[in-house]
Amino acid sequence: MSAVAAVGTESGPGAAGADRVIQGKRTGRLKGLAVIGFMLAVVAWSIDGTIIADTDWSRIGGPKGVFSSLGRFLQLDLGVLPHLIVPMIETFMIACLGTLLGCLFSLPVAWLGAANVTPSRLVAYPIGRFLMVLSRSVHEIVWALLFVSAVGLGALPGILAVAMRSVGFISKITAEAIENIDKKPVEAIRAVGGNEFQVMYYGIVPQILPVVLGVVIFEWDINIRRSAVMGLVGAGGLGLLFFRQMNMFNYGGVTMVVLAILVLILIGETVSHFARKAVT
Amino acid sequence: MVFGIILFLAYSIAFLNIDLGRLPGAFGRLASFIANRYYPPDLDYVMEGGYLLSVLDTLRMSFLGGVFGVMIAIPLAWFGAFNVTPSRILLYPFGRFSIMSCRAIHETIWTILFVSILGFGMLAGVLALTVFCIGFAGKLFADEIEAIDKGPVEAIRATGANALQVFVFAVFPQVRVAFTGIAIYTWDVAFRAATVVGFFGGGGMGWYLKRNIQQLETERVGAIILSIIVLVLIAEGLSGQVRKRVARAKYGAVDQSAKARLIRRFCLPLFSILVTMTLPISPVR
Repeated sequence: MSAVAAVGTESGPGAAGADRVIQGKRTGRLKGLAVIGFMLAVVAWSIDGTIIADTDWSRIGGPKGVFSSLGRFLQLDLGVLPHLIVPMIETFMIACLGTLLGCLFSLPVAWLGAANVTPSRLVAYPIGRFLMVLSRSVHEIVWALLFVSAVGLGALPGILAVAMRSVGFISKITAEAIENIDKKPVEAIRAVGGNEFQVMYYGIVPQILPVVLGVVIFEWDINIRRSAVMGLVGAGGLGLLFFRQMNMFNYGGVTMVVLAILVLILIGETVSHFARKAVT
Repeated sequence: MVFGIILFLAYSIAFLNIDLGRLPGAFGRLASFIANRYYPPDLDYVMEGGYLLSVLDTLRMSFLGGVFGVMIAIPLAWFGAFNVTPSRILLYPFGRFSIMSCRAIHETIWTILFVSILGFGMLAGVLALTVFCIGFAGKLFADEIEAIDKGPVEAIRATGANALQVFVFAVFPQVRVAFTGIAIYTWDVAFRAATVVGFFGGGGMGWYLKRNIQQLETERVGAIILSIIVLVLIAEGLSGQVRKRVARAKYGAVDQSAKARLIRRFCLPLFSILVTMTLPISPVR
């Protein structure tokens, strides 16, 4: 609002301009208040519809019930510890393989979805963009359900689901990087007689490689989180252990699995932090 | 080092007992699966009142999760920003650690934990989405605060203001527009998470997904997945438009009134549609 005032006093015709500016400030403030009031109304309406209408308050048991439930989670069951190692390695491997497969899938999608290298701006470009959005809209659990019904239980559907989910983000950033490249190296290589493959390999790839590696490492970090929950629907890793502990009502064991996930995430964050510094 | 990574990946494939022979056929099988079982999708099922009400519930849950998550994420991001945090020894690690731990655990695991403490229903779902949004928005907010211009901060500090005043008068005006864009993006991502929160007991569309999968009603599952895709696409389009207008409003000549006008233009018809959807359906519930 102060920016509007500054512009108004500089370019408005004297007193009439100043009046218009003051009027603009008043209506601008009223409109801002209207937006906030409207949002508060929607919040209140939402709370009423979801929490107040749907919650069985007696079953929760009040603050005492909640705290006793929390206490059950805090009684760590250390007997689960030796059973954690193999699923942790599995989850880590699912994340790695899933990210790699996602990279492979996102290369053609990024090529389709980049406005300057796409083969057809009318047909291929929208297809590429739509595939990117589709991959990001469908939650990884839904992908996992689809793949478990297609290829059976185990680690493979988890890897495929993680790969399909990662394609969206990696290909989007890659496509944007391709669209932002400097044309001069590309023209230079074409000028000395390079074919399309050499143009891509020596002209485009060196320019986009740091960005792409950075986003792949970032996505690998996020995929560790996703791989941990693939097991909840049967796709292997720590999620399966989580599911079993939950079904046995072994809340202490559940906490141990959550701690194992946190350890994996910590490793992933540390590696990704240093790897991204080394790459960019 | 690249060779080591390749070796590790080859070992992983053996360790996980992955039958590579199944891989080439996997997409063919998936395609035939979708063609045979999920098609034709049972569109009548997703058009009836109970399901549409759950869609409305999912929208409301994601909205609440976004609003509460963003509200809590702003002070946490302030603590977690190294340049303007009020206490570098105490509050900075606290802020960073809170945001990281909210982010580290997947939203479905948060849902399961909250459901086991609070029972099935949307309270658990809303809390799980709130925690997810704190992690998601908090990281983006903290990175945004750490990238601000030092000038106004030093100026306000020079007048003798305390940390809170520095935040309100020097930091917040600079990041306000970026925060609005991040908040809208967070709601968009929260809606995608909200569609499967119901799968684990948190209320909303996911519950219908789980029930129909367990009952092997694959045509209804296809319709539900289709509806999820359509809704997420609509939400992403909407949020993209609003974010573009907000960003343009910052750099254009006319700001606040255009932004407010645009949000009202989108929200008022949407709100009235949602209300009219609720009214005839409420007696059913």
